Parts: sequence; structure tokens; C-alpha cells
Amino acid sequence: MAQRDPQFNQKLLVDTTPMPDHIPKVEEIGTTSAFLASASFAIGARCQAFNDDYMKCKDEANGRGEFDCLKEGRKVTRCAASVIKDINTHCMQEFQAHVDCLENNNQTFFNCRRPEQKLNSCIFNKLGLKKEVPGSPENQVPVWQRPKQMYAEYPGRQF
Amino acid sequence: MPQDMPPSGGYAQVQYKRNIPARGFKPWQYMLGMHAIMAYGFYRYFQGVREQRELAREKMWSRLHLMPLLQAEEDRDQVRRYYADKAREKELLGEETKVYNSDRFVRPTFGYLPANVSK
Repeated sequence: MAQRDPQFNQKLLVDTTPMPDHIPKVEEIGTTSAFLASASFAIGARCQAFNDDYMKCKDEANGRGEFDCLKEGRKVTRCAASVIKDINTHCMQEFQAHVDCLENNNQTFFNCRRPEQKLNSCIFNKLGLKKEVPGSPENQVPVWQRPKQMYAEYPGRQF
Repeated sequence: MPQDMPPSGGYAQVQYKRNIPARGFKPWQYMLGMHAIMAYGFYRYFQGVREQRELAREKMWSRLHLMPLLQAEEDRDQVRRYYADKAREKELLGEETKVYNSDRFVRPTFGYLPANVSK
């Protein structure tokens, strides 16, 4: 079967109408997935309250969350943007190194423990945001601090 | 004629047992070895299972932290399109019709494409 490629006579296939004026504007986060994945725990540490607030609002909005939770949604976006901005100002190099590693390793965390360790310590020292995974067992080293990663491509010590 | 009698001192022992040296280890040693290997295998397996569980937890929380952010962006986009549709409807029909008998947000089935916008 010959494959028939879609043929469009125009490139832009989205509705470009801007947001009406009565809704306050917010700049979208505009960050690609690896940067978000790398910064996710910092975002979670700083923006937990906003995130929970937004999800609770959506849950209780009875199907109208898209309209009624715009305010909470803007707070979520602004908070995440502030985290990204702070990381960019204080830990640019570590951030970039970790993101590059994630991009080269299918965005798996366990292949990137060395850059992640540096990024985490930088974020903790400069921004005071600590990486935490709720529900992890208390009596063992957290998985992101173990030098040996069993499932990494290189199973020896990563740092 | 004298009868045949056994040799003096009796007959020699008849060798009916096989006299082959036992090869290898004793059976219980093989059993022990097998169990030792299997125990090590299970030990490593459960170590791996525990690590996988922690990795899965980490991945899931990484996404949970990002989900509100992505959802908020998507919701804003939907709301923007909703109001754009409303405005277009008003312009074309001169009135706003209520399509659904409900106040909920209904994600539109058909999207609007600009007719003459090229980029």
C-alpha cells in the first residue's frame, strides 16, 4: 500500500484567537519535557500547596473546573515558572547537564544519577528545595542517592 | 571313588557387589549447592524488585508534581477556544445558543480551523 501523506494547504492548523480581556494573562511555561522532568521535584517542593489547591478546585468544581479554576491554574503556572527561573539563574550548568543526560537516556532518572546528584545539591543549597518522594521506605537510602543503580546501563558506581 | 568336597578352608567369597568408586560429590552436597544458588538468585531478584518499586514511585511522583501545571495550561487553552467559539457564534448567528442542557464544560468534538491564515 502506498502511503498517502496528508496534504495541507496551510501550516497553521490551530485557532489563534487570543484569550478574552476579562481573563488575566499569564505567560505559559513553554518548557520541554526533559527540563520539566528534571525540575519536577523542585516544582513539587515549592508548589505543592498551589498544585493541591488547583487539583482540589478541579475536583470540587463539578465539571466546570476549566472555567472556575483559572485563578488557581495561573498560580500553579506562575509558581512553576518561578522555580524554572530560579534554577536557571542559580544552577544553570547542573540543570543543563542533567537535562542533556535525560535526553540521551530516554528520560530515565536511574541512568543520570551523577548529574542529578549535583543538581539536587545545588538546588538544595541555593534554593532550599529538597527532593522528596512521598511514601518511600524510611529505613533505607532513597533510590536517587544510591551510587549503584541496578537498572542503569552501567551498573557500577555512578558517582 | 571319593566324593568332590569343598576346598579346604571353604570357597572364596563370591563377588556379587559392584565395586565402582563413587564419582563426584555426595548427593546432599549437590542439594545444598542447588539451594545456595537459588537462594542467591531469589535474593538478587527481590533486591531488583524493591529497587524497581522505588524507581516507579520516583517516576510517578515526578509526573504527579507536573500534572497540575500541564493541566492548567490545557484548561486555559480550552477556555480560550471556548470563548473564541462563542464570539464566532455570536458574529455568525447574532445570538448565543446553549447547546447542552448542563453547565459543565464539554470538550468540543469539532475544532475550528482558521480559513485564511497561513504561516
